[in-house]
Amino acid sequence: MALFVVFQTTFFLTLLSLRTYQSEVLAERLPLTPVSLKVSTNSIHQSLHLQWTVHNLPYHQELKMVFQIQISRIETSNVVWVGNYSTTVKWNQVLHWSWESELPLECATHFVRIKSVIDDASFPEPNFWSNWSSWEEVSVQDYLGRGTLFVFPKDKLVEEGSNVTICYVSRNIQNNVSCYLEGKQIHGEQLDPHVTAFNLNSVPFIRNRGTNIYCEASQGNVSKGIEGIVLFVSKVLEEPKDFSCESQDFKTLHCTWDPGTDTALGWSKQPSQSYTLFESFSGEKKLCTHKNWCNWQITQDSQEMYNFTLIAENYLRKRSVNILFNLTHRVYLMNPFSVNFENVNATNAIMTWKVHSMRNNFTYLCQIELHGEGKMMQYDVSINVNGEYFLSELEPATEYMARVRCADASHFWKWTEWSGQNFTTLEAAPSEAPDVWRSVNSEPGNHTVTLFWKPLSKLHANGKILFYNVVVENLDKPSRSELRSIPAPANSTKLILDRCSYQICVTANNSVGASPASIIVISADPENKEVEEERIAGTEGGFSLSWKPQPGDVIGYVVDWCDHPQDVLQWKNVGPNTTSTVISTDAFRPGVRYDFRIYGLSTKRIACLLEKKTGYSQELAPSDNPHVLVDMLTSHSFTLSWKDYSTESQPGFIQGYHVYLKSKARQCHPRFQKAVLSDGSECCKYKIDNPEEKALIVDNLKPESFYEFFVTPFTSAGEGPNATFTKVTTPDEHSSMLIRILLPMVFCVLLIMIVCYLKSQWIKETCYPDIPDPYKSSILSLIKFKENPHLTIMNVSDCIPDAIEVVSKPEGTKIQLLGTRKSLTETELTKPNYLYLLPTEKNHSGPGPCICFENFTYNQAASDAGSCGHVPVPPKAPPSMLGLMTSPENVLKALEKNYMNSLGEVPAGETSLNYVSQLASPMSGDKDSLPTNPVEPPHCSEYKMQMAVPLRLALPPPTENSSLSSITLLDPGEHYR
Amino acid sequence: MVPSTARPAAGVVPLLLVLHWKHGAGSPLPITPVNATCAIRHPCHNNLMNQIRSQLAQLNGSANALFILYYTAQGEPFPNNLDKLCGPNVTDFPPFHANGTEKAKLVELYRIVVYLGTSLGNITRDQKILNPSALSLHSKLNATADILRGLLSNVLCRLCSKYHVGHVDVTYGPDTSGKDVFQKKKLGCQLLGKYKETIAVLAQAF
Repeated sequence: MALFVVFQTTFFLTLLSLRTYQSEVLAERLPLTPVSLKVSTNSIHQSLHLQWTVHNLPYHQELKMVFQIQISRIETSNVVWVGNYSTTVKWNQVLHWSWESELPLECATHFVRIKSVIDDASFPEPNFWSNWSSWEEVSVQDYLGRGTLFVFPKDKLVEEGSNVTICYVSRNIQNNVSCYLEGKQIHGEQLDPHVTAFNLNSVPFIRNRGTNIYCEASQGNVSKGIEGIVLFVSKVLEEPKDFSCESQDFKTLHCTWDPGTDTALGWSKQPSQSYTLFESFSGEKKLCTHKNWCNWQITQDSQEMYNFTLIAENYLRKRSVNILFNLTHRVYLMNPFSVNFENVNATNAIMTWKVHSMRNNFTYLCQIELHGEGKMMQYDVSINVNGEYFLSELEPATEYMARVRCADASHFWKWTEWSGQNFTTLEAAPSEAPDVWRSVNSEPGNHTVTLFWKPLSKLHANGKILFYNVVVENLDKPSRSELRSIPAPANSTKLILDRCSYQICVTANNSVGASPASIIVISADPENKEVEEERIAGTEGGFSLSWKPQPGDVIGYVVDWCDHPQDVLQWKNVGPNTTSTVISTDAFRPGVRYDFRIYGLSTKRIACLLEKKTGYSQELAPSDNPHVLVDMLTSHSFTLSWKDYSTESQPGFIQGYHVYLKSKARQCHPRFQKAVLSDGSECCKYKIDNPEEKALIVDNLKPESFYEFFVTPFTSAGEGPNATFTKVTTPDEHSSMLIRILLPMVFCVLLIMIVCYLKSQWIKETCYPDIPDPYKSSILSLIKFKENPHLTIMNVSDCIPDAIEVVSKPEGTKIQLLGTRKSLTETELTKPNYLYLLPTEKNHSGPGPCICFENFTYNQAASDAGSCGHVPVPPKAPPSMLGLMTSPENVLKALEKNYMNSLGEVPAGETSLNYVSQLASPMSGDKDSLPTNPVEPPHCSEYKMQMAVPLRLALPPPTENSSLSSITLLDPGEHYR
Repeated sequence: MVPSTARPAAGVVPLLLVLHWKHGAGSPLPITPVNATCAIRHPCHNNLMNQIRSQLAQLNGSANALFILYYTAQGEPFPNNLDKLCGPNVTDFPPFHANGTEKAKLVELYRIVVYLGTSLGNITRDQKILNPSALSLHSKLNATADILRGLLSNVLCRLCSKYHVGHVDVTYGPDTSGKDVFQKKKLGCQLLGKYKETIAVLAQAF
């Protein structure tokens, strides 16, 4: 038992001593704890910078240590980052370490502590972590300065697509703060009552001037200010593309690449990315001054292999690409030069060129391209220094462009640029006869032959055609031939030939020679063969023609036609074994009629007309409507006619006509069908299928009815254009009858009038004699009817005619002399106007005693006024006739009135007067008592009063002043007033 | 950039810097010599006041366009928050009393033009770096600075020739070189807002 106690005591003592030793060792290692920890901030990089030392390191001893660093935010328990930092620590060394915070340092207080452990192989003892250093607090909020709102980080540079945390510090918690990115509000996480952080994920690149982010503090609706930051977002640096290097002279390597996007930013936050060229074999580096190329000087002739690294770099990122190559495999030759052509003729030439010499015995592979006539040919050739190539099978008179490029024949890397030159081959004689055709117009005694030929193609012309030779040879008289040279570019000529057979040879000539001849024969017989024209239908692709083969041997067929609207003769040659062809050309126009003639060419080269065909490539509807005349309009029918309408000059074959008729009647007339017009109205339609039938009788119409008609032709493409209807109104049924009656009547009346006019003298003498027969007068009955049954008519033969001399007064009374038609105003107004009653016997000698009358009835004023209204007697009526010619009513009225001296008061209708001659016998009242002998007129008896008196007054016995009265007989037609 | 005691800022070479460059520039000059002599190299123009009025009118006519060009080039939130970001809250801006004597007004005008000239110089420098493609804005800023230089020369001539004032205490615009970009934008906007407001008063007062 005692032994056990001793053993136990010894064990415990041993254990105690071991623990004591261990404690001593640990005590020796405790001084390796990090001390003097200092933390500073870098606001630009948002980083904490730590520095510390490790005390008690053995002098001149280096130990590899691991430091564990712990960073807390806002409070120590809120650890946001823990990490190790391994380094070799020297004696008395100050250690540095930085940590970049994603949260701007201004927005939160940070705490840092550190502990360490030895991690060195030379220190075999077991290692333990040291104790943590004390927390080191870092806060920059106290240095923000004045102001209530701050936004961080300032002017931060980030890469597009990265995550950024921004924050604001509001010193007034009463303020409501809203933050915006490019005008759009962002929402964050409140770190403490003053601080809110915003995590912006995958920030976009908006502009190189930066992105404005701002926060606005407000209380209610009152803004307390805006503060903000500018976030500079850079585009992601791209890896250079297409990086390659090559040499043209073994002295310089030219390296190129595609730099991609420029990552430069405004405000000098980031310049454009830089490019550096590094060659690993030589270890040389070169900073390139251009963004997409760089030259590298080859200094060692012996170096053939190159390993280049191109490094692109900006503030945020670095990219690199690498190429490894043999210099001799990257030879980019300089362009060939002195390209020339020698011995150029019509069909071949020699091309020569030179290349820049690289090294001795260097072989070049060259490629030649020959462009001409729309074709390209390519040839490859190997040369040393001077190149030469024979170009053959060229076309005469053709411009070619030949170019050459070369490359290293041993190690092909890249072709040079092309070096080229143009050249033109010489001319040769035309190789083919021109294609000739003719048109013949036969006239009495001769033919007019127009020759046409097509210009030779460039392939056959072999140069510029200068003229055409036309040789006309009379086959009937072989000795006579004629040569005509027609300068190009003419393509026709006209010949007038007599009634003989002629052979015509046409050749095309250029500066070298003539082409083979084209021969055509004009026979003596004119082309009077009657061939019926056949209609054909064309298509948009052309006309398909076929014909019966010509009996006998033919060397071919020719189809000719005229192009419209140029009216140029076109033709097509067809082989002898072909009897059909398709004429297709872009010149065919819709709505144009083309006439085709098919000729067979005999072995004697005489053309014979076989067939005629006509057609349209595309028929169109008629372009115009006929001008329709309306004839034979009756009450029940009318005739429509359009004889002048030409069916030939239409854009399609006229197949007939449609006649549209409108009327009030709902039902159509026989032969007409109902139709609906384009405007929806209904009408009647009549179809005429014969294009030459250009008239239509429209019958079964109603009299005095209104009709409208419209005539339009139609082709296979449709009708003519719409036009207005022409209006027709049928006449009345009786009007024609009336015309039949009225016309003869009018004719008769006219005939009677003409007869009357011609026989007017006779009628006048019969009906209206100048000297009326008193016995035939109705006045007699009137007088008898009144009261004077004894009144008789005096016979003219009973009167002793006197001569009356009228002496008018000098006041210019208009008196016309008896027996003359001249008025006094036209003769002598100076003579006194008196009336002289003179005997008319021839034996009256000298002026006897005169009788003077004072004419009181003559009103001077009335006479001067010349008014018809005051004229007592109508001017053409003889005074002596007045009483007889007037109507009985007027006479009766005149009798009933007391005659007034003033004529102005006598109405015009009452001016019928009876003139009572002063030569009448003193009223015996009986015609039997009329003196048979003339009364001896008293000498110078003065006529005191000559007045018109009513018959009743004229009859009483004469007064003293009017003792004599007579009826004056005047010459017919003469009167005065 | 306001000239420090070492050197004037590159790119900003206003006449006033030549005129006033000395140690201590950047803060109000402490001393005004009472009998400072006028030293003018060239004779003054006969019609100085008319020229001054014309230059003020010219500046007044273009001030608003310059202001608009500026805040438009800064991007949001400037165009839509002019009252908050571009209000004429400029510290140390020299005062002006329109009812003073001509001499007093000219002295105050002189101070204002000096202040504006330096501020415009800073703004021009900042904008050339920040907005290198805003050529119209640069052109307008340069043109305004040119007129301000001419105006300053004329005012100095007038003060010297008529009132024998050879020296005026001046203050300069705030130094923006240490500010962040947003602050530079904001200060420039505030200054141009103040400039627009002040130049209208000045054009009216003369």
